[in-house]
Amino acid sequence: MTSTVTATPSPATAPPRRPRTRETALAWAFLAPSIAVFALFLAYPLGRTVYLSMHGNDIIGRPNRFVGLSHFAEMASPEFGRVLLTTLLFTLGTVVPGVLGALAVVLLLEGVIRGQRFLRGAFALPFAFSVASASVIFVVFYSSGNSVLNGVLYRLGLSQVPWLTSQEMALWSVCITTVWMNLGYGVLVLAAGIGSIPREVNEAARIDGATGVRLARDVTVPLLGPQLFFLVVISTINALQGFGQIHILTRGGPSGSTTTLVYSIFEEAFAYSTSDFGRASAQALVLLLVVLVCTAVQFGVIERKVHYA
Amino acid sequence: MSISPRRHTVRAAALITGLGLLLSGCSGGGGGDSTLTAPGADVLEGLDEAVQVEFWHSMDATNGQVLDGLIEDFNARNEGRVEVTGSFQGDYDTALANHRAAIQQGETAELIMIFDLGTQFMIDSGRTVPAQSFIDADGYDTGSVEPALLNYFTVDGDLRSFPFNNSTPLMYINRDAFEEAGLDPDSPPADLAQIREAAEELTVRDDDGTVVQYGFGAAVYGWFIEQFMARAGAPYCDNSNGRSGRASEVLFDDPKVVELVEWWQGMIDDELALQIGRNTDEAQAAFNSGRVAMTLESTGALGGFIEQSDFEVGAGYYPLVSEGDPGGSIIGGASLWINGEGHSEQEVRASWEFVQFLLTPESQSAWHAGTGYLSVNTEGYDGPEAQERAEEFPQFSVAAAQLADSEINENTAGCMMGVMAEARATAEEGWETALTSDTPAEEAMAAAAERLNTPIEEYNASVEE
Repeated sequence: MTSTVTATPSPATAPPRRPRTRETALAWAFLAPSIAVFALFLAYPLGRTVYLSMHGNDIIGRPNRFVGLSHFAEMASPEFGRVLLTTLLFTLGTVVPGVLGALAVVLLLEGVIRGQRFLRGAFALPFAFSVASASVIFVVFYSSGNSVLNGVLYRLGLSQVPWLTSQEMALWSVCITTVWMNLGYGVLVLAAGIGSIPREVNEAARIDGATGVRLARDVTVPLLGPQLFFLVVISTINALQGFGQIHILTRGGPSGSTTTLVYSIFEEAFAYSTSDFGRASAQALVLLLVVLVCTAVQFGVIERKVHYA
Repeated sequence: MSISPRRHTVRAAALITGLGLLLSGCSGGGGGDSTLTAPGADVLEGLDEAVQVEFWHSMDATNGQVLDGLIEDFNARNEGRVEVTGSFQGDYDTALANHRAAIQQGETAELIMIFDLGTQFMIDSGRTVPAQSFIDADGYDTGSVEPALLNYFTVDGDLRSFPFNNSTPLMYINRDAFEEAGLDPDSPPADLAQIREAAEELTVRDDDGTVVQYGFGAAVYGWFIEQFMARAGAPYCDNSNGRSGRASEVLFDDPKVVELVEWWQGMIDDELALQIGRNTDEAQAAFNSGRVAMTLESTGALGGFIEQSDFEVGAGYYPLVSEGDPGGSIIGGASLWINGEGHSEQEVRASWEFVQFLLTPESQSAWHAGTGYLSVNTEGYDGPEAQERAEEFPQFSVAAAQLADSEINENTAGCMMGVMAEARATAEEGWETALTSDTPAEEAMAAAAERLNTPIEEYNASVEE
């Protein structure tokens, strides 16, 4: 992983015929600090995770026995399958509405002339909330006894929703919170993208008679391709790593229905004063693999269709 | 903030010494002048400077202020001799995690507060001086210490740590709602059947049939199962609640618990109880706002209920599963452990003197009145602060009465087991599974109990090898 990040030595400035060894040495010298940092904060933790994943712990949390791949073998269970399924649903349930929602907001705001900047700012505002404060707000919205949302539903004469206390509903409630939290960032990115579309393109399209939905679908959205792609990749990774909102809203429940992979890792390692770093590390490696595969697939499949203007 | 009461158990005295030696051999840190027996008062004579005692605890907000006041008081009385510095370590789980890290680095605090569920772990890690050895060395009289607390923290006949911030759960009622429903608030329901009867009267619907006030509602909190089992006279884990030998399985799939969970399901299905989930803050909010007329909570919640609700709060004994159960009551909360491993005799002795100060009737009176925790020293209830509080809010005396009425036996001592925190969480999961799916209570609780077999086995293997 580290090698893809390190830069190649800059070839441009050096005269062509000088011995290359000096240049190479110089390049390595310049790279040394960043290599050291990557080794310390990336390679070492990764190596340590692999080591821990193959060991059991004593009660203090120190690895004390080699268990081979048994922590990985244990994952072939219905319980872990459920964790993966929940992770998948949570990812789909946050990425798809998150990106489409931000796109919808930005496109609709295109039609607003007066106050557009203000409205964009307002929609981008959730970005300024920390995960913890956003989640606490939603705790009040979803509260089982005194839910703000249920209060509104009650006044409208609608039936009450068990936001966080039903296995069917809890995951979607957490998704709603996450989508709200991510919406601001999406709006910011897409608004910047839409601002960079050359005016001539829009004018040309309008002269050709394209307006409204047609203009958005055939001109604006394709030109937003790079930003949309970026959002999809980033929000997928965010979803796979989402923790704070789950911890604050549901603690993985009810009955494990919102336990995603990250939450499961947390439970193994820290939740019950048990310090099972071995199993947690094994799951962390699975998470790493999932993120890698998702990102690789996104770059391999979707990016081909992205038009970079 | 609620006081989160937890519990846990202990044993294997012979193991302690051996294990302590084993662990110290490979710990790397600590070294040198370790003390695992109680030193006498003479070690604090002729000191050049005050002995420093770092005290890790989990008390913040109001409780933290009351504790800081006690620490200041102690330091003022022991100037030049002992100086205690309190250090807030986050909630109980975090504090235990910090302590575990400190063991790895060989830099533990002199005195630590560890929640009940961590008791077996603390014994197994073998770095503390057993409370009993201080008591024996000094001839300290434990006669006035609450017997239920001694029962919990005593393992193999020895007191392992000093109970300090402890509580027990109660049944709370909205007295105003009781009166409106024509029920007698002075005799709150005593068992599940009676709660259901009362809930039928207390549940209020609007014209469309939507419930605006539920009769009952409490959090799905594992501590409650432990309490219900103690009151039913059923052990929570085998080997006499882990006290005659290491527990090898949990027994919370007991018919009494199944009965409880089925009853709870029925209450929710019939809209007599609010489905609250595992969050105790939610349950408190639901009670305070009048959404539920009866709830279960720790004694520590009483102050908050009185302050935040706009109705008269009543407190009664924690309910029985069914009429005729033996009753009895277990405690939750945390206790104080004095680290010996890596600490000098002076530090160990100084910690013990501070603990003695905390356990005096004077300190306990202030502690109980200021926080709502039990008075560890029963004489503390006669202190001026405690008396004043009891006069203003007679509900405060219910918890002490409930404990005094409780028989002291292995069922009310509670389960002592290394993975107790995980057991409680797993019990909650089984309970919640039954409440939120079609899975029958019996199946859900049995599956949860079975899931614990591997963690229990692994824990036992790792401390016995």
